[in-house]
Amino acid sequence: MVQEVVWGVSIVLMGTLAAVFAWVAIGANVALADYGPIIASAYRLRTWLFGLAIIVLIGTNYYTLGKLPYVSRMSAPTSAKAAQPVEAVAEQWSWSIKPDAFRVGETAEFHVASKDVNHGFALYDPDMRIVAQTQAMPGYINVLRYTFNEPGVYRVLCLEYCGVAHHEMTAEIKVSTH
Amino acid sequence: MTVQAVQSRSATSARAAVLAYIVVSGLVLLLMMLLGLTMRLAQAQWISIQPDFFYVIMTMHGAGMVGIAGLSGAAVMWYFVRRHVPVSTAVFVANLVFFLIGAVLILGSGFIGGFAAAWTFLFPLPAHSGELWSVNAAASYMVGLLFVGVGFLLLHLDIARGILSVYGGLGAALGVKQAFGLAPEDEGPPAAVTASTMVLIINILGILLGAAVLVVSLVNLYVPSFTFNALAAKNMIYFFGHVFINATIYMAVIAVYEILPVFTHRKWKTNRAFYFAWVLSTVMVLTVYPHHLLMDFAMPTWALIAGQIISWLSGLPVLLVTAFGALTNVYRSGIKWTVASGLVFVGVAGWAIGVIPAIADGTIEVNSFMHNTQWVPGHFHTYLLLGMVAMFFGFMTYLVPRTTGALLPFGFWLYLVGGSVFVLCFLAAGSVSVPRRYAVHLPEWLPYDRVASIGATLAVLGALILVLNFVIGLPSAMREEAEA
Repeated sequence: MVQEVVWGVSIVLMGTLAAVFAWVAIGANVALADYGPIIASAYRLRTWLFGLAIIVLIGTNYYTLGKLPYVSRMSAPTSAKAAQPVEAVAEQWSWSIKPDAFRVGETAEFHVASKDVNHGFALYDPDMRIVAQTQAMPGYINVLRYTFNEPGVYRVLCLEYCGVAHHEMTAEIKVSTH
Repeated sequence: MTVQAVQSRSATSARAAVLAYIVVSGLVLLLMMLLGLTMRLAQAQWISIQPDFFYVIMTMHGAGMVGIAGLSGAAVMWYFVRRHVPVSTAVFVANLVFFLIGAVLILGSGFIGGFAAAWTFLFPLPAHSGELWSVNAAASYMVGLLFVGVGFLLLHLDIARGILSVYGGLGAALGVKQAFGLAPEDEGPPAAVTASTMVLIINILGILLGAAVLVVSLVNLYVPSFTFNALAAKNMIYFFGHVFINATIYMAVIAVYEILPVFTHRKWKTNRAFYFAWVLSTVMVLTVYPHHLLMDFAMPTWALIAGQIISWLSGLPVLLVTAFGALTNVYRSGIKWTVASGLVFVGVAGWAIGVIPAIADGTIEVNSFMHNTQWVPGHFHTYLLLGMVAMFFGFMTYLVPRTTGALLPFGFWLYLVGGSVFVLCFLAAGSVSVPRRYAVHLPEWLPYDRVASIGATLAVLGALILVLNFVIGLPSAMREEAEA
């Protein structure tokens, strides 16, 4: 899952940076050196790091921007035809989701709207991990597609703070094998 | 009275004003940290509070932290920039007065009026309380924010006046010519001037847009038929919020440029890369805010893609100029490690480390899974608690070094270790989809809340020692100043 990859990569990079800071801090009084040569070699290293960062930046952005969740950018009309339209309307503090039962392999196309304030539509799988989300905004309909690949009870949680019963604003979607 | 006497008196009052800023900032930071700890303890189910009160605390904590980060950052910036340009102590004090008036209105809106629409006050939520707060309570919050904004606007305009009187233009003060190789880099402005110029450019724009959306929301409170586009309001609020909170870091980082060299005995060298990074940051901090709206599918897709790309780009100046500069400055320098130098060094580390999960969340594909989970407070607490606030505490301890004996280094380690545990719990919880801004948590989320509560308790105790050290040393600091 994306979450696990991001957590792992972030921890490694954060740990590496923390280790570099700790190494410099601990070694600062070990073997003193003139500032001039240090600056010169640091600048060379910085140039290399800048180049590396640009390569990572271009590569990662190219890779991830090919997978946008915005339906308006999704092309194939055939896939749109196969998607089951679902009305998901938020209102302080409940959801109206119709239909709310699917079969494994079906693609739901959620038309997410709000009757009052800003809400968040987050789809949680049966293991309570987010698999897709969008915002529910007054005056707009945000379209989100998701294909149910696992059976079970999915939950919709509100992920935009919307008032004092925000945490109670949940709904269930049942996905069966047949 | 002689000219020297007038100048001396002016310096004394300026120093007293800075000390007043620090006292207020330290105490309010502690109070806001206690509110944060209360929320974590409630989520951990170690204490019990009603959800409506939880959300009041959440609103006060969010708005209060943003505001006090601004005030403490302003203390750092003003203290150092006034070495280079003429600024008005009266305006500086006026900002503190405006802040305190605003703070009273905001605290009253929450703790008396029950206002709990989060610091984001997303339109039209302030007017939709579900009978839990009144229109007047919501208005009190917004007028309070306006007071805080007006104070900062005055302060930035006064610093702009001072900078223009010395450098003739904001571009010259930012070091634009040096950035593009059009002037010798050793003739560029001091780091404190460059950073202050960047801050006033972005914050004046941010505050004006914030004030506009506050006024619109205020009118809507009393004239419900007057409505506004919710997406436009969200854009304005996140532009204002993103700019303001980023400006707090850019103000506080001046402490690093000024304080670290004192302990390493190495000059912080401003060069072309330094100026270029600040010019670039000025543009990017104004244009990166759409990364807050990646899950608003109605936004123009190009703006969201730009938000992602600029998020990635904006990490580079931080990491490759300031963080790398701090590492170079300290590397084999024979630095004298004190709590002050340690805190500003930790501040740079926390800022740089926090950029990593921030960039991750600024990626649309990742944001689809992490948006509004605890990953978000995870990354910003990393670069605020362990970054910006550590820089401020470093500045505070630099001015009043050590009055609590061995307790002070103990406070430093409590703050560092507790803060690290605390932010890692946020990030770990975000990676398993724990939502942010929930008064009540599911049983499977409790372990994260409980370890985080322990970390937060240690961090608050550490902060308490650091602030206590300053408060105890304040009378002698004032005495020394008077004698000088």
